[in-house]
Amino acid sequence: MRDHVFFLRGKAAALGVARGATVLGFAISALAVLSCARSTAPADGGAHAASYFGSLRPPRENVLRYTNGPEPETYDPGIAVGQPDGRVARILFEGLTVPNAQTLAPEPGQAYRWEISRDGRTYTFHLRPGLQWSDGTPLTAEDFRWSWLRVLRPENAARYASALYPIENAEAFSKGEVRDSTRVGIAAPDDSTLIVRLRAPTAYFLFVTAFYTFLPVPRHVIARWGDQWTRPGKIVSNGCWTLESWRQQDRFVFRKNPRYWDAAAVKLDRIEAYSVEDLNTVINLYKAGVIDWTTSGYIPAPFLPFMFQYADFQHARFQGVYYYTINVTRKPFDNVWFRRALNWSIDRDAIARDLLKGTRDPWGNFTPAGYPGYHAPPPIGYDPEQARSFLARAGYPGGQGCPKISILINTSEDHRRIAEALQQMWKRTLNIPVEISNQEWGSFMQATTQKQYDIARRSWIGDYLDPNTFLGVMVTNDGNNRTGWSNARYDRLLRDAASEVDPVKRLAMLSQAEAILLDESPVIPVYHYTINSMVKPYVHGIYPTALDTNPLKHVWIDHDWKPGAPTLAGRP
Amino acid sequence: MLARRVLLIVPTLWVIATVTFFLMRLAPGGPFRSEREIPPVAREQLMRKYGLDRPLGEQYARFLSNAVRLDFGVSYHYPGRTVREIIAEAFPVSAELGGWALLLAVLLGVPLGVVAAVRKNGPADIGAMSVALAGISIPNFVLGPLLVMAFSLGLFLLPPALWQSPASRVLPVVTLAVTYLAYIARLTRAGMLEVLHQDYIRTARAKGLSEGRVVFKHAFRLGVLPVVSFLGPAAARIVTGSIVVESIFAVPGLGRYLVNAAFNRDYTLVLGGVLFYALLLIVLNLLVDIAYLALDPRVEMA
Repeated sequence: MRDHVFFLRGKAAALGVARGATVLGFAISALAVLSCARSTAPADGGAHAASYFGSLRPPRENVLRYTNGPEPETYDPGIAVGQPDGRVARILFEGLTVPNAQTLAPEPGQAYRWEISRDGRTYTFHLRPGLQWSDGTPLTAEDFRWSWLRVLRPENAARYASALYPIENAEAFSKGEVRDSTRVGIAAPDDSTLIVRLRAPTAYFLFVTAFYTFLPVPRHVIARWGDQWTRPGKIVSNGCWTLESWRQQDRFVFRKNPRYWDAAAVKLDRIEAYSVEDLNTVINLYKAGVIDWTTSGYIPAPFLPFMFQYADFQHARFQGVYYYTINVTRKPFDNVWFRRALNWSIDRDAIARDLLKGTRDPWGNFTPAGYPGYHAPPPIGYDPEQARSFLARAGYPGGQGCPKISILINTSEDHRRIAEALQQMWKRTLNIPVEISNQEWGSFMQATTQKQYDIARRSWIGDYLDPNTFLGVMVTNDGNNRTGWSNARYDRLLRDAASEVDPVKRLAMLSQAEAILLDESPVIPVYHYTINSMVKPYVHGIYPTALDTNPLKHVWIDHDWKPGAPTLAGRP
Repeated sequence: MLARRVLLIVPTLWVIATVTFFLMRLAPGGPFRSEREIPPVAREQLMRKYGLDRPLGEQYARFLSNAVRLDFGVSYHYPGRTVREIIAEAFPVSAELGGWALLLAVLLGVPLGVVAAVRKNGPADIGAMSVALAGISIPNFVLGPLLVMAFSLGLFLLPPALWQSPASRVLPVVTLAVTYLAYIARLTRAGMLEVLHQDYIRTARAKGLSEGRVVFKHAFRLGVLPVVSFLGPAAARIVTGSIVVESIFAVPGLGRYLVNAAFNRDYTLVLGGVLFYALLLIVLNLLVDIAYLALDPRVEMA
């Protein structure tokens, strides 16, 4: 639920020392890309001969080798946070449903079918017969119930416990207000049936159950080993692969699980996930053919614009928005006209085109694109005239008398460039003085959560495919709001939408809420996140997805792949 | 006395531990902050679990009493992993990388320096010192990518990163060694030059000893002393890991951990790492002093 982008940003900022120092390294490696990177298909491949980045030798075995980002904090699914943790958890474990590799639509996983009650509040899952853990212990519905309650138990301090809050009494239980676990809406009447009672019809619940916090964990192993249970040699899992070895800050090796219910369909005998966070290192490994997949977000920014020419580059939108938050508790930001003026004087197209070189899409909405059935309100645009008139209405005609405002970023070259663009645009269009200050990650987090800022950089990545995952952030006093903005109508629309069963009406309410948000402008959307990753052409089944998650079950390696072969299924 | 030096280790470590402990707490933010809000209940639980809800004095007392038993607790950032275990797994990697680099630096740097000193102002001197100057001037974050570009992406001879086969060790070791090599060569040259002008060398020459005997038997022992004193702190620095080299080559060493730990406000890992590093530094400096004793007849252990 936490995205790799901020995760990476955090780490990137954290690595400031090394990263600042590697600027020159960047330049050198960028030179390498431009000079000798191309391995072009033979001329007889025809006019459409695709070119690829670096080595193209498939591994001899059925193995996928990829870089997984920073060292995972943990890969215990219940307490995991962040993309690197989640990817490892999903390789090892399988939930009730599994997301489709392309659409992420829920498909049968450990449950082979389910029913939803007419009021949309009761989900009955039927587990496949004969499910086993990788040590042969039978896996039952009770394992799911126990695992979910484990996430909710306050003493376990699971950071993503809130993912389970759509379940009846789950929130109260996790806050210690309800002590009796049988009052939580999770029941396992027999070994193969799991009944989940929700507090409100939650249209996206099946997307949520595919999230890694909902993965089952082996209670018999945890009972024996405590918090050491995830170690190689102890861990038992139920997914396509089991953990063979792990060396911290280095690699995970996974081996195919013969006890997995659909083992015959799993093509990869082994997966090697390397914990590498340096972007240049990742791209070097890929180019040299040591890894087959980079995952998204690991191509150094100077390389990105040049990657479009390669057929093994994956580029697509996913559900993330880069934006700025405005601290509305401070003057002059408490004035809605002032916020509107700031918002309408940003030339997002110019930022995306000139600064980001087309690697991200300009974005004026708070919710990202592509929610089925959701009609987003018109975006915030670029209109200098109107922005100036807004500023005049705020009481600063021509920028006169406007106090100096400050943009806060966490230390990173990428954030600084965007902030400087905003600074210039506000200066040019509104004639208001703007300063930029940067802080390292920990201090930045403290400043933003405690509202010690004017305007701060922020981003949000969706957890499930529904606008609610974005709009929920801006509800009054939500821990992620951080602007001090509060609007009773907005809150009511979100609350009503949560209990609305009719999908059309529900999405219309959310759209109305977003319109209020954009009009009130406590946030300044800047760009839409995109997936930017490299996948070797001999790897099949890795697609860019809306949540940047990649189910690997059906991935396979084409050992006979030759340059010049037609583009194969499995590539966009 | 040696015993006194050893006894001083304890108060030194105590001061370092105390300063680090309070400096970490002074830094804004805490270990449990993230872009996505951690529910207050979960945060409270985490704080309680790690004793961070106790008064600072109590936390400090508990930290000290545990530290005496070399128990630094569990990492806040990597739940379920103890600091001891992290250091125990990461340090040998850094030590191996650093050990090879240091060995390479000494084996090449010392002869280079000796040759330069003996052939002072000759082509060999100028050549060796130009190389040394280049070595000192090129930072490893430039050298590393250049080597990768040439040997991994150009010639496909060596892996660009990851710590596995012997071949994967070559580039990080060379990258890390070059600066030290250059420094050692210059120190050796300077030390040798100073010694070669001393009276007892003139005496040795006057006695009609061969130049080789003069240089290697009489001058060398004193001439390398500056190198020996450099080696102590250099060894400590090199074996505890270079964040830059470890990042470029994805080496799973201690350097990456320690730097990230400070940014993550992983108090326990920072404290454990700092104390470990301090102890290493103190011990290696002590060894240098002992080596001095053996090499230079004029030095007595004070």
